[in-house]
Amino acid sequence: MSTANPSELDFSPAPERAPQARLVRPSLSYWQDAWRRLRLNPRAMISLAIVVGLLVFTLVGPMLWRLDPANQDLEQLSIPPGAARTAHIVEPYTAWRREATPGTGLRLASEATTQSVRLVWDAHPSARAFEVFRDIYPPTHPPTQSTQDALGIPLGEISPQDGLAFEDRLALEPITYYYHVVPVGAGNRLLSDARETIEVEVTRAITLEEATQRGLVSTGKKTQVGDEVELAWHPLGTDYLGRDMLARLMYGARVSLFIGIVAPFLYVLLGVAYGSLAGFVGGATDQTLMRFADFVVALPFLLFMILFKVLFGIGPGESGIIPMLIALVILGWPATARLVRGQILQIREESYVSAARLMGSPTGYLIARHMIPNTLGVILVTLTFAIPSAIFTEAFLSFIGMGVAPPTPSWGSMSNEGIKTMLVSPHELILPAIFISVTVLAFNLLGDGLRDALDARMRSVE
Amino acid sequence: MADRTFWQSMWALTMLAAAALGGLLLLMLIIAYFADLTIVDDASSAAVDYESRSISIVISEEPPQMDSTRATDAVSGMLLGHLMEGLLRYDGEGNLQPGVAESWTVTPEGAVFKLRDDARWSDGEPVTAHDFVFSWRTALAPETASLYAFIMYPVKHAEAINLGDMPSDQLGVVAEDDLTLRVEFERPLAFFDRLVAFTTYYPIREDFYLARDGRYGADAEDLLFNGAFVMTKWVHGAEVALEKNPYYWNKDSIWLERINIPFITPDSNTQLNLFKDGKVAMVQLSPDTLKNAVQNRWPIRRFAEGTVFFIEFNHRPERLTRNLNLRKALYYATDTAELVYRVIKLPGFLPGASLFPTWLRGEHDYLRREYPVPAHPVNVTRAREHLELARQELGLDEFPPLVLLVGDTPTSLKQAEYFQNTFKRHLGLEVRIDAQIFKQRLEKMTLGQFDMVAAGWAPDFDDPLTYGDLFASWNKNNRGYFRSDALDAQVRIAQGSLNQNERMRAFGEIQRILLEEVAIIPNYERGRVFVADPSLEGLIRRTIGPDPDYSRARIRED
Repeated sequence: MSTANPSELDFSPAPERAPQARLVRPSLSYWQDAWRRLRLNPRAMISLAIVVGLLVFTLVGPMLWRLDPANQDLEQLSIPPGAARTAHIVEPYTAWRREATPGTGLRLASEATTQSVRLVWDAHPSARAFEVFRDIYPPTHPPTQSTQDALGIPLGEISPQDGLAFEDRLALEPITYYYHVVPVGAGNRLLSDARETIEVEVTRAITLEEATQRGLVSTGKKTQVGDEVELAWHPLGTDYLGRDMLARLMYGARVSLFIGIVAPFLYVLLGVAYGSLAGFVGGATDQTLMRFADFVVALPFLLFMILFKVLFGIGPGESGIIPMLIALVILGWPATARLVRGQILQIREESYVSAARLMGSPTGYLIARHMIPNTLGVILVTLTFAIPSAIFTEAFLSFIGMGVAPPTPSWGSMSNEGIKTMLVSPHELILPAIFISVTVLAFNLLGDGLRDALDARMRSVE
Repeated sequence: MADRTFWQSMWALTMLAAAALGGLLLLMLIIAYFADLTIVDDASSAAVDYESRSISIVISEEPPQMDSTRATDAVSGMLLGHLMEGLLRYDGEGNLQPGVAESWTVTPEGAVFKLRDDARWSDGEPVTAHDFVFSWRTALAPETASLYAFIMYPVKHAEAINLGDMPSDQLGVVAEDDLTLRVEFERPLAFFDRLVAFTTYYPIREDFYLARDGRYGADAEDLLFNGAFVMTKWVHGAEVALEKNPYYWNKDSIWLERINIPFITPDSNTQLNLFKDGKVAMVQLSPDTLKNAVQNRWPIRRFAEGTVFFIEFNHRPERLTRNLNLRKALYYATDTAELVYRVIKLPGFLPGASLFPTWLRGEHDYLRREYPVPAHPVNVTRAREHLELARQELGLDEFPPLVLLVGDTPTSLKQAEYFQNTFKRHLGLEVRIDAQIFKQRLEKMTLGQFDMVAAGWAPDFDDPLTYGDLFASWNKNNRGYFRSDALDAQVRIAQGSLNQNERMRAFGEIQRILLEEVAIIPNYERGRVFVADPSLEGLIRRTIGPDPDYSRARIRED
């Protein structure tokens, strides 16, 4: 500042300036800001869409796809997604009386359908019995072990006393089979040189009664034997008892999401109440409460779960979902409680709280205005991370058979059933496994996004 | 702007996923490399080895203990069959062959066994008639609490001794000298020679048993053998090894020097992989691994294992299943052909029609050919009629859920879910599945905590009576308390008569009564499919006796 010689200019009024555009942005509330941040995070948005999609799948799905998940379609067992499903209407099955069939050699006694394949053949002088095999490969297909013939599945031994005929009803599929009939000589030795082979193309069949019962026949049209019908449609295939995978996944999602959302919600609530009490009161109360929380953390979950099942007197065939829920709530809260207590301890010492206190704010106002809103972000983030872990716990417990009772499906129990047939029908394991993985991943990424959006201090650095 | 962040972030995610996959792959390769380094590729880990005359096999579970008087499970029975020898034994065709006994005579009142003088224990001491007397008395002693004590009840005073009403030296078996064993029967009996091949009848040497001080059978060194093999190693939960017994009287008929059991696992997929890798000589196939075996082009073999499975009802007064019409309704709604062909899907299984399996011999032919079972067509309409009758008789508006007690194996669970759906679909009945491990299931059966139970019965000896007396009102295995005086009378005939024709007629009657009263719903006769190493010869699979039996196996030289 100049000290000497004030000039004239110093005493004249300042020229009026043209009004400038003021830089203002609309005032954003905490939630608006969080939403804006979240929207800019594509990973979180995709996850959010998946989570919403899952909820729709679970809640609305069963209304659109009205199929009982316990219904067994024994015509279509373990079929993969998108399998053919045209079937011929045939007469109801009657026991075969093994009438004489014209012709020589190994031959079919009637049309080969998935209902039965009836074979007849001629006598062999040195045969004590005949062994019938069924293969899915032609006889020319090279066997891996050269010393013995690989003939496929041994179906049974027929003694000539019972007639030179065999009826195969074992899990027939509409594919081409190669049947071998091998005479068995003295000493149970297979006379491979006298082996006869027939190629049989099996057509899918269903009886009219069965078709009507399952509602496959339209009422208006007259359907009779020989006609073709379309079997029930299973978009995601069926499991080992012919139950629709899509319906089971939908109902399984109910159990998984119910546990996954209700349990964390309850235990986070419990944790918030417990933690804020400890944090706000402080002192000896705080010490006692938190040591108890430490004690609960140390309890083994699986053991507790089993004890709960016993305590609740969960009888045979009853669902173990409620004890699972209670065990999760009782054992899950300490993590939230610790987090919230820490937050409250910190906020309690903030200057704005001291200021409010000095100005005479009552405790209730302090908690409602300052404590809770400032911990809400942390609480929400904990909640979104607790959900996937609860879903995973449910899946794990159902997988080891501690969860739902049959026939109620859950993703975990479906995986458990699917893993047994992993090599031959992989879709029974892959589908529930995908649902578990995608759900857990979506909730985790959403939680990640929420943390970034809600809590500036915990924001991950990219 | 938003678009760019989106694609950038997707790209980052993809790269992360690719990196994670690559990392995993690398880790797998490294682990596989180190795993290869640690595996010692010696002969004992190969499925079959001609040079050392050894084979490796897998067992599904570890035997709880190896005391023959207390053994109940199939694995113990299989191992003991290789390690011990009774008075007689079954050969590969199911015929009786001399064991420790050189010759024997059986009369309706008793039996005399002449023991061979070259039978030896694995420490070189001779096997004497006293060893049989001691083990039989031990098996029947109430403090042994043997579950198979009942199989000795044909011996005089055996039941009274087992119940603690008589001292064990009153048992009707005496060693007249070191090599002569005389048995007296409780009542006239036609088939005692078929009984003595059973596990519970194996000998035990008294001084050795007492020296182990209650630990007999707990470990390899707590056992003394008189069979074809000796147990040289028993690492609990991990490994068992058998070696040829140099003192076995018939050791020239044994070709194998060593049977390794380096794997104990019930998982059929693991077992299949062990066979695929050439680690074991034989594996049983499950419905899940059967397809895999076909795809591998292995020669698959089949044999009718013969155990009968059925649904047993609870006939206690407080149970709904006491009502005959309810049982009939359930029976008429059951399609065993569908169960076997569509649900179990294993070859060798036969749809069940009776308590008596098809392989049981009658007087001249198979029992089931002599006394055929009437056809049982599924009849849902009839089932519903019976259900309605039952509802009226019981005065119910609606049936409460019925409890179906089953084992916890995959097959029995599958079967239980099938029944649950069938009864729901055809009859509208709710069924609750109670899946329990074997021991717990037996406990619940004994306490009567079930409406229906999926039970099975494996034959103990080669006579229809092994099934015939199962539902006699005094039989401890009749856990559903089925009671029919007509059936009891027929069982007494079958037990006491020496006339084969009369006995078989009695079995025919028992079969008829069981089906008419719907004491059980027959489900199936179990079959087995297995794959064995092509160079392994002489493997014996049998219905009665230790199965599988490797003792007479040999390896073909390639």
